[in-house]
Amino acid sequence: MPDVPHNAGYMVAAYVTTALILLAYACSLYRRAAKR
Amino acid sequence: MTLARKGHWTTLVGLVLLGGVYVRAVVFTPVERLQGPAQKIFYLHVPAAVWTELAMVLVGVASVVFLFLKDPRLDRFAEASAEVGTVFAAIVLTTGPIWGKTVWGTWWAWDARLTSTLFLFFLYIGYLLLRGAVVDAGARARYAAVLGICGMALVPFIHLSVYLFRTLHPQPIILKPSAPSLPQSMLVTWLLSFAVFTVLYVGFVMQRYALGRAREEGDRA
Repeated sequence: MPDVPHNAGYMVAAYVTTALILLAYACSLYRRAAKR
Repeated sequence: MTLARKGHWTTLVGLVLLGGVYVRAVVFTPVERLQGPAQKIFYLHVPAAVWTELAMVLVGVASVVFLFLKDPRLDRFAEASAEVGTVFAAIVLTTGPIWGKTVWGTWWAWDARLTSTLFLFFLYIGYLLLRGAVVDAGARARYAAVLGICGMALVPFIHLSVYLFRTLHPQPIILKPSAPSLPQSMLVTWLLSFAVFTVLYVGFVMQRYALGRAREEGDRA
């Protein structure tokens, strides 16, 4: 049976990137609305 | 409560629920034996990809109806959906290469699925640039509607590209004619994640729609 690959770093990178993109867009919408 | 405020709360709920999905995916969902922990990128990459495509379909549908009815609410919705679709496409195009690097050994391959998804992202950018470039509101809405309909026509090609061409990208394991081919625990995590991305799409679109309406009212004043 093959060993499970040790690649958790890639998972962490993808999860962090996704969170950053969503948070950045949420902040962008909030700031644009606050300027109105 | 105003639409913008409803959108803020919906987005906030979506972001908190996304944290719950992260915990479930990382801690409580089994590790796939061949791909290892990197397979868990699936729980973000695929829901984002589905909403990237659905957002463009909704842009197209709103655009078709707009061309008949000339209702500015449809144009406003299409604009909001396109901007949110661009954000989800950015997630797809960053998580995909990260997953590909560890599973395929390469960040990128010019195969049909990856290239057509990149093309959809450029189409989203072009759509938003077009809206920014045309001053006359009527002409802007009409030109954008035509481009939105073209974008919608691209979506079936993207989804079927893995069947039409020999691609590095795997074929769908959930959105296919037969039953999903993954264990129950993984399927539940994916469904939860898809539900959270749906909440985020709705929250973002509500906020962006309210912003577009406020801008139009500001322009008229």
